[in-house]
Amino acid sequence: MSHDSALALRQWTMPVVKPLTELGDEELVTAAAAGSREAFDVIVERHRRAVYQVCYRFMNNHEDASDLAQDAFVRAWKGMKNFKGQSALSTWLYRIAVNVCLNRKSAKAAITEPIESTERFEDVRIEGAQQKMLREERAVAVRHAIASLPEKQRATLILRTYHDLSHQQIAEVLGSSVGAVKANFFHALNNLKKILGTAP
Amino acid sequence: MTHLTPDELLDAMEGMLATDRQAHLAACDECRRQLNDLENALNDAKHASVPEPSPLFWNHFSTRVNEAIDAQPAGGLPQWLRWQMLLPLGAAAILVLALLLSMPQQEQPDTIEANVSAAAETLTAPDDNWVMVATLVGDLDLDAAAETGVIEPGVAERAVLTLTAEEQQELTRLLKAELTRAKS
Repeated sequence: MSHDSALALRQWTMPVVKPLTELGDEELVTAAAAGSREAFDVIVERHRRAVYQVCYRFMNNHEDASDLAQDAFVRAWKGMKNFKGQSALSTWLYRIAVNVCLNRKSAKAAITEPIESTERFEDVRIEGAQQKMLREERAVAVRHAIASLPEKQRATLILRTYHDLSHQQIAEVLGSSVGAVKANFFHALNNLKKILGTAP
Repeated sequence: MTHLTPDELLDAMEGMLATDRQAHLAACDECRRQLNDLENALNDAKHASVPEPSPLFWNHFSTRVNEAIDAQPAGGLPQWLRWQMLLPLGAAAILVLALLLSMPQQEQPDTIEANVSAAAETLTAPDDNWVMVATLVGDLDLDAAAETGVIEPGVAERAVLTLTAEEQQELTRLLKAELTRAKS
């Protein structure tokens, strides 16, 4: 057997091991459910920003969002064996994050970030900087308005607007009907309009 | 024609409104105004981004998650209380219980003593039938009775031999007590 053919045979018979970072969510879940912390680390890295953002929009402050996102991943690790892949991993993680936030909200009133950034700085002369500041002012006002919505409306608005979940997926996350989700989304937008309309 | 329902307004916002309702929307100022308000609110929400935490936060986040997982108590029941262990343990317990129940029960010494004492009490307070029998055989000599065939020879010895150790012990105690009482 020539050297080349021996090498080809060896490559054919050797299993190709992909790096964890190249695996899909489904494969990572299987590995994590079997106890692989390395696979779970990749899941955390892949979804941490989205989970953190769900928590941030719910709580409207970094400290709580950071704690709750961490808590959501700890629960995800503990429940990994129960995840049967009925939904996308991200949807399942959002569900955990929303539940963690709802539990925290019921135990503690939301602490929102100070609103100093809405103060006007008349001496800012650069047009670009002014535009940026106005956008940031508006963003802070909107985040406050969202944080003040009733829980179900808030969860629906967050998942629909920022995470592109369908009404059906949101219904699964919140354990409600599609009709209820649509009603909550409609009322959330109406309430947002009202709050922002009366905001200074 | 009726105004658009909340569901239909959402459908219109998502470009999924039925054709016949689109005709109403095109002709109805009120529905267009409502749709416009909803779209503006959604647009406001979409542009409200979350402040990005520092890169340092993300570097530490995974470490914090791992530390929090490690700090969790071992999940659920202790190893020896899991069903994989409980099932064989339970089966073994049932087997032992079944064996115990199927074994012939031996009376406790206390129970025997109580039974014998009760019998002794009945003897100390004999009924009329027993008094009549005692009167009839009172003076009868055991050897003479055996010779005449009233009682079978050796029956008392055989009866003693069938007694258990506890019964023999109790019989001895009663006989000694009777001898002591007769002497006094």
